[in-house]
Amino acid sequence: MRKLSVLAASALLLASSSFAKEINVGVVMSMSGPLAAYGQTCNEGIEFAHSLQPKLKNGDTVKLVLIDTKGDKVESANATTRLISSDKVVGIIGELTSTNTAQVMAIADKKEIPVIAPVATNDKLTEGKKFANRVCFTDSFQGAVVANYAAKDLKLKTAVVVVDQAQVYSLGLAKAFKDAFSAAGGKIVKEIKVSSGDKDFKAVVSQIKAANPDFMFLPMYHPEVSMIARQAKQIGLNKPMFSGDGVANQTFIDLGGDAVEGYMFTDFFDYGAPPTERSKEFIKAYAAKTGKQEVNSFVALGADAYNLMVDAMNRCANPEDNICVNNEIKKTKGFEGVSGVISMDELGNSTRSAVIKVVQNAKAVYKATVNP
Amino acid sequence: MFMQQMINGFSLGSMYALIAIGYTMVYGVLRLINFAHGDIMMVGGFLGFFGVAVLELPFLAAVLLAIVGSALLGMASDRIAYRPLRSAPKISLLITAIGVSFFLENAFNVFFGGVPRAFPVPSVLEDILEFGGLTIPVSALIVPILTAMLLAIILWVLFKTKYGMAIRALAFDVDTVNLMGIDANRIITIVFGMGSALAAVGGIFWVVNYPSVDPMMGVLVGLKAFAAAVVGGIGSVGGAVLGGLIIGFTEVVVIAFLPELGGYKDAFAFIFLILILLFKPTGILGIDFEKSRF
Amino acid sequence: MTVKKDQWINLSFVFGVIGFIGIANSFFDEYTIRILNNIAIFTILAVSYNLINGVTGQFSLEPNGFVAIGAYVTALLLVSPEAKQYQYAIVDPYPFVLSLHANFVVALVLSGFFATCLALVLSFPVFRVRGDYLAIVTLGFGFIIKIFAINYPEVTNGSLGLNDIPEFSNLYWTGGIAIIAVITVLNIVNSKFGRAMKAVRDDEDAAIAMGVNTFKAKTFAFCTSAFFEGVGGGLLAALLTSISPDLFDFFFTFQLLIIIVLGGLGSTTGAIVGTILVMGGSEWMRFLDEPMKFFGYTTPAMPGLRMVVFSLILIFIMLFAREGIMGKKELKDLFKGRKRSAK
Repeated sequence: MRKLSVLAASALLLASSSFAKEINVGVVMSMSGPLAAYGQTCNEGIEFAHSLQPKLKNGDTVKLVLIDTKGDKVESANATTRLISSDKVVGIIGELTSTNTAQVMAIADKKEIPVIAPVATNDKLTEGKKFANRVCFTDSFQGAVVANYAAKDLKLKTAVVVVDQAQVYSLGLAKAFKDAFSAAGGKIVKEIKVSSGDKDFKAVVSQIKAANPDFMFLPMYHPEVSMIARQAKQIGLNKPMFSGDGVANQTFIDLGGDAVEGYMFTDFFDYGAPPTERSKEFIKAYAAKTGKQEVNSFVALGADAYNLMVDAMNRCANPEDNICVNNEIKKTKGFEGVSGVISMDELGNSTRSAVIKVVQNAKAVYKATVNP
Repeated sequence: MFMQQMINGFSLGSMYALIAIGYTMVYGVLRLINFAHGDIMMVGGFLGFFGVAVLELPFLAAVLLAIVGSALLGMASDRIAYRPLRSAPKISLLITAIGVSFFLENAFNVFFGGVPRAFPVPSVLEDILEFGGLTIPVSALIVPILTAMLLAIILWVLFKTKYGMAIRALAFDVDTVNLMGIDANRIITIVFGMGSALAAVGGIFWVVNYPSVDPMMGVLVGLKAFAAAVVGGIGSVGGAVLGGLIIGFTEVVVIAFLPELGGYKDAFAFIFLILILLFKPTGILGIDFEKSRF
Repeated sequence: MTVKKDQWINLSFVFGVIGFIGIANSFFDEYTIRILNNIAIFTILAVSYNLINGVTGQFSLEPNGFVAIGAYVTALLLVSPEAKQYQYAIVDPYPFVLSLHANFVVALVLSGFFATCLALVLSFPVFRVRGDYLAIVTLGFGFIIKIFAINYPEVTNGSLGLNDIPEFSNLYWTGGIAIIAVITVLNIVNSKFGRAMKAVRDDEDAAIAMGVNTFKAKTFAFCTSAFFEGVGGGLLAALLTSISPDLFDFFFTFQLLIIIVLGGLGSTTGAIVGTILVMGGSEWMRFLDEPMKFFGYTTPAMPGLRMVVFSLILIFIMLFAREGIMGKKELKDLFKGRKRSAK
């Protein structure tokens, strides 16, 4: 039946060129489970970008097929296989975390279906894969941004790093930071291991206080970082603190309260300083629809994953040619996305800028842009 | 630094102790590992949060709301989920307990979201005392005092009141208690109410110490508190306090003096549990739990 | 006569499954085959989990721990040394990790073997005291395994997990081993050991009085479960081609618990029926998480509602239908006259 309708559709297409097809693009995302809040935010960006640009240049309509993974690896594998074998998608956007994205990419790579990861930053993710791409920066870039900013701009010499052993994100970012900070002439005086889900960090902050570093780097997610910041303040540890994009949200500031005033972190973009034309339009349309100006980084990156996919499809004679779409994704240079200007390389990694923000009066305030 | 870490260990340990007391009460009477205990603690934290942040009640009123709400929830869970299974095989009861635990976690996750919320701590509790280079947050100081007070109250109830006598009798033999003209079901409900109220107090002071509330916050704490209760001697209220302190101290000592093992911190509670079962199944306080209780 | 008839029923069932596997590969698309593979693997896990929980009546929460052991052993043995070389990003692996290599069968057997050894070690502290503690110790054990997997990157590659595992698992392997697991478990249940296990479940004191070595019966059930869970973990690793510690959290065990409770604690047939319902049904239950329309009023999407429904089903079955779908009956009982099954 399905084959018949496709056949009929293509026959019609031959008959009249004005007839538009429907092309499936898959979205694999953690819409429920422990990471639901992030997955939903990211998917909001993908769907909003789709509503702004639902058609290709040649008039074909893009249809998003969303499958929830519950943040689970087995489900990620099921979802990817289903998208490729039953929904016949041209490309896939997702997943959220690096581990689950690795699962999606492993399956899609064998079937030669291009994947664009919106927010998975682990360095190893795209290694050895031909059809793996991403629009976010990598851990090593982000780590270097923080290290150089601290060492060169703020002239800080010694650091304590707290690593969340249970998070791939944290491990990758910590390693990148340590390498870059040592290279910039800084010294890591102590490294402390913790696990996500911990709430009591009194022993950790007491240790940091004893080590007396110039600043602390906490490459973790906001629930743990906010608790560390609070407990550090309690024992009078008032050194500058840095994190990566894992704390780039309002929840972090709400949880941390007074204790995170002056806290610095890296982010992908700042809605207050839209980097491109498309960015301005997106923020305007987003505000018109939702009534809020604040476009979260995950929304912007989700949107860019979709935009980049559509852009690559537009550049192919046949937008359903997965090989061509993948090649075009990798050839993208100077693409004006919502989150900034993106250039892709052969490995599928993107070259893009990062911004540094600081918490002031319970708001994240733009401080600097760092270009690669 | 050493003294500071000892204070840190004491404050964390008394937190575990507070939650372990409720666990040991329910186990002592019903011999049921109430997997939902940690989740009732979470509900207590949430109710406190709603009291202070949404209803804008004064802190103590919010604590009262949390205690009453959680006690009712505990009694309701007993009435609905556990009482019909009194004569069923133990395994049915345990499966139901897991079900209740999962239900509470996921229901709160669906209706209130998994994103942690900030708990507005009253400023009195946020003060910090300093002497001799040591810093002690008031919130961390209150927990041990509270634990000691609750311990005294519970011991008084158990050994000086009629209800206490009935509870202790129940721990020996349910059938005989029924024969003596005591409504065993009513006593069990009261125990559930007390245990859940204790969990709520634990939950409130947990979020005062670590001011973020989320639906999964009770899972690991609940398990550790159970391990603490077994290590101290399950069924013994004093043992629960002792076990809680041991596990709290161990975790702090590991981070402070063996930082390479920092990642294994959460494993210690369970390793203790296995060791104690291997060498002294009755727990440190050594009550022969086939014979006497509390 | 009855014995012979039972065998015929079981045999024809086995041949039915083999025939189904034979034609499945050419009839279904890859997605369906993946779901079938999942069902086969979860059948292995559910049937063996049922042995300790249902047949022996000891409430245990171990599967995620043993499945993790099996998955890691298989992964470490299957991933080629070259692939390992570039995967270990956190620290350099121990040299012996790089040199590990074996074929699929050896890997699976070793997976089961290591799981069994650990089960044996665990059974000493646990079964010396009466049952209750098993639940909490096995729950803690799952945690410890996960914590080790995260904190021992020299072997496990930490939270990055192991990737590029060769995809050996297919329906012949998963289905074939599922058949072996079911037959083995059924043979144990119907043997002297099986009767001892059921005696422990129904009345431990009476069993002791009758001279049953309850420690031995429980340990045997626990170790057998562990073996097949280890093997199942190995198959899962070779199906997914990548594993990481967060795959093996408590939710994994919870899923299996629902399966065996729904199917009927103590019934091997029930465990299989439960697996098919839950693994197939959880795809269907997706609609619960999506926005719903009631009389023109649209409820917002409620991600996670499925889990609430799952836990309510669990409580509901325990309260009102403790027997589950199959009770303690097996396939053969369904073909018997009413007189017998009425007992």
